[in-house]
Amino acid sequence: MGSPRSQKPLELILARNLLTSISTPGFLLDSDAAVVFYNEAAAALLGRSFEDAGRMSAEQWTAAFGPFDRQGAPVEVDGLATTEAIRAGRPAHGSFTIRAADGARVAIEASAFPIVASEHGSSGAMVLFWPLSENGDSSPGGGR
Amino acid sequence: MRVKVWGARGSVPAPGPHMNRYGGNTSCVQVTLADGDVLILDAGTGIRNLGVGLVGARRINILLTHLHLDHIQGLMFFPPCFREESQITIWGPASPEASLEDRIARYISAPLSPVEVRELPCSVSFRDTPATEWEVAGATIRAEAVTHRGPTLGYRITDGDTALAYIPDHEPALGAPLAGLEPEWISGFDLARGVDLLIHDCQYADDEYPEHVGWGHSGLSDTLIFASRVEADRLLLFHHDPLHSDEFLDDLGATAKRAWQGLRRDATELELGQEGGEFAVGPAVQAVHA
Ligand SMILES: [Zn+2]
Ligand SMILES: [Zn+2]
Repeated sequence: MGSPRSQKPLELILARNLLTSISTPGFLLDSDAAVVFYNEAAAALLGRSFEDAGRMSAEQWTAAFGPFDRQGAPVEVDGLATTEAIRAGRPAHGSFTIRAADGARVAIEASAFPIVASEHGSSGAMVLFWPLSENGDSSPGGGR
Repeated sequence: MRVKVWGARGSVPAPGPHMNRYGGNTSCVQVTLADGDVLILDAGTGIRNLGVGLVGARRINILLTHLHLDHIQGLMFFPPCFREESQITIWGPASPEASLEDRIARYISAPLSPVEVRELPCSVSFRDTPATEWEVAGATIRAEAVTHRGPTLGYRITDGDTALAYIPDHEPALGAPLAGLEPEWISGFDLARGVDLLIHDCQYADDEYPEHVGWGHSGLSDTLIFASRVEADRLLLFHHDPLHSDEFLDDLGATAKRAWQGLRRDATELELGQEGGEFAVGPAVQAVHA
C-alpha cells in the first residue's frame, strides 16, 4: 500500500548534511552501491563537482575514476571496501589509487561504514577518503 | 476534514496575560474526518481541553510525532483516559531501545506521575507507526522520520481528496539550504507535497534562528521556503516559542505574510496557529473562526 519512495530516507539526508559540513572528502552510496552524493572536498580530489557528475552507478564510478590497485590494475567493484560495507553491513577499510578527472593518480585510503536504520534496513554507506602523501601518510581532512 | 487547534505552543506551556490570544498550551490538533471520526495529533497540554469536550467518543486515536514532553504532557490529564468505556490507541515512533508503552510510561509513572499506565481505567493500546501507509478511522496515514532532535515523525493524513501534513517539530534546513536542494534530499518533502494544509514548525523569527541552529526547529524563512517548495495550498505556522508574546507573534505573522507574498503567494493562505482556531480543510480552505 506504500506509495513509491522518491525521497531519500532521513538517515541518508542527515549523512549528506554531515558530509556537506566537513572538509574530509566523503561519498554517500545508496543501497545499490550507487554514488548519490559527494562533498566539495571529494569534488576537489576528483576534479569534478557532484552537480556535474550526478548519480553514478558503481560501474559508472569505476569507469570514470577507478580505482586501481598498487600495480595500476583496475579493482573489481566486488573487491571494493565500499561494496563490502554495503553487502555485508560491516565497516571496511582499504587502500587504492583513483584517477582524477585531469588524469592524475591519487593514492588514498578509504573507510566505509554502512548506514542502517531499523525502519528501512540498509540505506547505503558513507565512505571517507584519506589521500596519501608521497611518503604514504594519510592527510586527514585534505583534498589535493 | 476539519481541523481545530488546541495547543500551538512549543517546548513548554506558556500561560500568561500576554499569551492569551495565541494560547499557552502545547501541541495538540484535532482532525475531524469527513465521516465524523476524530484523530488527535500530539498530546501536549492542549489535549486536556479537547478531552473535556470529547464526551461520548469511545474510539480515540492519538498520533504522536515524538515523545518530547511538550507533545505528551497532556496525556495524563486527558479525561477519556479516566473513562472505562474509552478505547484509546496511541501511535508513535518505534525505537530499538524500548516499546512505545515503556517509553511513555517513563512519564506516566512514579515519581513523575501519581498514576501508572496500568492503572488507567480506559483500554489503551500503544502501536508503533508502520513503515508504510495505513488506515485509521477511514483515513490514510503516512508517517515518516523527519529532522529534529531524537526520533521524530511527521504525518500526512489523507481523507478522500483532502490531505493534511502535520510536522510540528522540524528543522529541514539544518546543514542544507532549502532553496536549491533537490526535493528528494529535503526532509519531510514527500509528506507535505501538495497538501491542502501544512501545519509546520515556525519556532523562531529569522534573527533568532542563528542562535538555535541544530535545536530541531525552524526559523520563519526556512518554514516559508519549505512550504513553498512542497506547494502546500495553505500554511499554519506552529510550535510558537514560549517566549513569544501575542504582540511578538502578531509582528511575526505580518512579516510572514509579506515574505509569503515575496514568494508570489497570497497572504491569505498563511496563518499563525492560534488556540481555538478552527478550519474546514479541503481544496478550497476557509477559516471558520479563530
Ligand atoms: Zn515540540
Ligand atoms: Zn521536539
